[in-house]
Order: sequence, then C-alpha cells, then structure tokens
Amino acid sequence: MVYYLIICRSLTYAQRTASVLERVGITAHIMRAPKSIVGEGCSHAVKIAERNLSNALMVLRRVEMTPNRVYISAPDGSYKEVRG
Amino acid sequence: MTYLDSAATSLQKPTTVPHAVQSAITRMASPGRGSHQPAMLAAETLFACRQAAGELFHVENPERVVFTFNATHGLNIAIKTLVKPGDTVLITGFEHNAVTRPLSAIQAVTFKIATSPLFQPELLLQDFAEKLTPEVSTVVVTHVSNVFGYIIPVAEIAALCRERNVPLIVDASQSAGCLPVDFSGWGAAFVAMPGHKGLYGPQGTGLLLCGGDQWETLLQGGTGSVSALQKMPDFLPDRLEAGTHNVSGIAGLLAGIQFVLQKSTEKIFAHERKLTSYLVQSMKRLPAVEVFASDGMAAQAGVLSLRASSVDCEDIGAELGKRGIAVRSGLHCAPLAHNTAGTLETGTVRVSFSAFNTAQDCDRLISELRQILLHADYKM
Repeated sequence: MVYYLIICRSLTYAQRTASVLERVGITAHIMRAPKSIVGEGCSHAVKIAERNLSNALMVLRRVEMTPNRVYISAPDGSYKEVRG
Repeated sequence: MTYLDSAATSLQKPTTVPHAVQSAITRMASPGRGSHQPAMLAAETLFACRQAAGELFHVENPERVVFTFNATHGLNIAIKTLVKPGDTVLITGFEHNAVTRPLSAIQAVTFKIATSPLFQPELLLQDFAEKLTPEVSTVVVTHVSNVFGYIIPVAEIAALCRERNVPLIVDASQSAGCLPVDFSGWGAAFVAMPGHKGLYGPQGTGLLLCGGDQWETLLQGGTGSVSALQKMPDFLPDRLEAGTHNVSGIAGLLAGIQFVLQKSTEKIFAHERKLTSYLVQSMKRLPAVEVFASDGMAAQAGVLSLRASSVDCEDIGAELGKRGIAVRSGLHCAPLAHNTAGTLETGTVRVSFSAFNTAQDCDRLISELRQILLHADYKM
C-alpha cells in the first residue's frame, strides 16, 4: 500500500503534527524516520494514507506547520521525496 | 502526621499520582529512542504532559514545555541563556537562592533590587518601575515569596517589561498550581516551576516554559534527534532535554497536573487562602507570636511565616516535628527575602498548605504551638 511520510525534526514535533491531523479525522501514525532518508541521523515521521495527503497538507499549512519534507513509499520499499 | 510544608514539597498527592508512577516504571521505556510499544507509550505520556501543562499555563505550542529536574534546573537554563558577564539584572528583594546563586555565578553581574515592605505590591511595583532603567538587560522575579507567601504583581511587572522590551524570567515555584500562571499573556522569556509542589508530581520533576528562539544548554547528550551531528539540536524541547527522561516522574506529574486542571487553580487557591486566613486569626490569640500576614489576605498565598520572641525558630520546628507536625524553619534558602523583611537574624517558622489540608490541621498546629510556648520562657 502506498503511503506518505511527513518528516519531522523531533518526536515532539511529530506528535504535534499527528495531533493536528487526528483532530480533523486524519489517521496519523508516528514512527522513526527511515535511516535512508534522514541524513542527519535519528528523526521521526508521521505516516499517512495516500488519499489523505492533500487534506493533511492543507490542515498543516493552516496551523503554520507546513512540512519541509514529504516522501512517498515505493513498491520496492524505497522512498521518493515529493516535496522540497 | 500533620503536614504543613507543601512549599518545600507536597507530600499528600492525589491517588492517581503514585499509581501513574508505579505503572510507568514497568510499562514505559525511553521516549524517542525506539519504535516499540513501551517507548511509544512513554512518548505519548510525555506529550500528554506537555499538552496538559500548556493548557494550565497558556502555552500554545507544547514544544515550548521543557522537562527539567526541578525549578532550580529550569532557572539555571533561563538565567544562563539571558544573562551574560557584565550584565545588569533587576530582581525583587524576595528571591530564592535558586535565582541569586546562578546570577552570582556569572562574572560581574550587577544586581538591582526592587523592594517594598511585605505585602505592599503597589510600592514594589513603583520601585520596580523606577529601577527598570535602560541598562537592565534581564528581569527575574518570583511570583510568590517562598518565605512569606507575598504575591508579587507579576502581571504588572510583565507589562512593564514588555513595554520596555526587557526579557522576563518568572520563578513560579510557589504559584504553579494555585495561582494563574499566564505564560503567553505575560509574554515571559521563561517561566520555571517544580513539579513536586503545587502540581502534586513526584520530586525530580519540573517544567520550564520557554519563549524566544535561542536557548543555552546546561547539558549535552543524546536526544533521539539529528544524531549524526555533534551539536545539540537547535529546536525545542530536544535542545534542553539531553539524556533519558524521568518518564515515571513525568507520568506522575501528568496525573498531578490533571488533578489541578480538574479541581481548578481558583478553587485550590481559595481553599489555601481560607486556611491561611483562619490560621492568621488563630495565631493572633497567641501572645508571643509574630505573624507575617497580608491585611485582608490581599497579597497572600498559602504560605505563612511566623516567629516567637524568645524561642528559636529551629527549636519550634524541631519541637513541632516531634509532635507530628511538619513545618519548615530557618532561612528557607532565601536570605535576600529575610534581609528585606528584617528576619535575617532570627529566621522564621514557615507553614504552607496544599489542597489536602484542613482547618483541623490548623487547629492542631495552634494547639501544639501554644503548648510549646507555654513551656518556653517568652518575654512578650
């Protein structure tokens, strides 16, 4: 299943992000960000379903929490950045 | 035991607090350090505590709620962030050593001290306004004197600081949980508080509410973020939370804050003030006792100091202790406050309340105090 990862600078930021999304009914799962996509070491990500991305971005923009980096999962298990 | 020393540590806790601590010890691991359920449960608890503190103290962004070991830890971070060698700092004459010692440790800091007679907030504010001159780079004030329960007019001081663009650090050690602490309304640079007093959490917990965008680290170490870099993260709360958190303590603190939110700060304060007022009236019938209290309780929190004319305050404290009454005697780590009030030579006996005290506790104190004084050779 295809999903998106919103990369967050810290666990607490990821929790804030997930909290905002859950409040509007978007299921958001916090996880440690894959090593392959975080150059500076450990980080956290918020995982959301493919269908929720545009709504999630809109909600986050509204609360001034626009993500810096979003990745999409590929069938081979890799990730591709979709937003700079 | 009649416990009247909550200004040091509240001993009677809501039952949810020890339960939360005990449960966390065997169910929660290191937050942010793993993806497994015990780590995530710890992470959820920390976040819930930041959110609850944010609700209680008006902090919109939970990232700005930083966990500390106690108020002193938070005050050290705040002071070392804002005060540099050679700076001039304005404080009140009622500060604790947790403020004055970190300031004294910074080279060539000039202290300006705003003061007033006890329980005269208008005079304090007047002196404060006069001393808040352009060379003052930082203001540090306690919200409530830990010795006398004197409520300092922090909201008005904060307004002056905003007007003159001077950063403000508030020591909310005696007010958090029983007086409104309005972080965003005050526009404070930092507000530091313990978790183990009016918030009813365990010892070893504290909170630092952080404004601004630069923060000096006291500790460096692992944070579970940007691990490949050797510099500490530049974002909160990670920058100020190196090492494994006191997760079980924070779980207890969350339960304590939830108790305060449920009961309400206003009700807790009203209860403590009622007890303080009752105790003051009862004390007036003891001829050898001098009570330091605000007229009509207007500027008084649930902390009260007294002294007897011919019995040393430490002897009173020790004798009350033998009789199962816990109070605190001496200088209460606040020699500046005693100097300001003229009690530096004698010290005082301090009585302090929590939400769990009753009028019967006051009656018992009065009864035992009367006995102690009867057996003493007092002069008044």
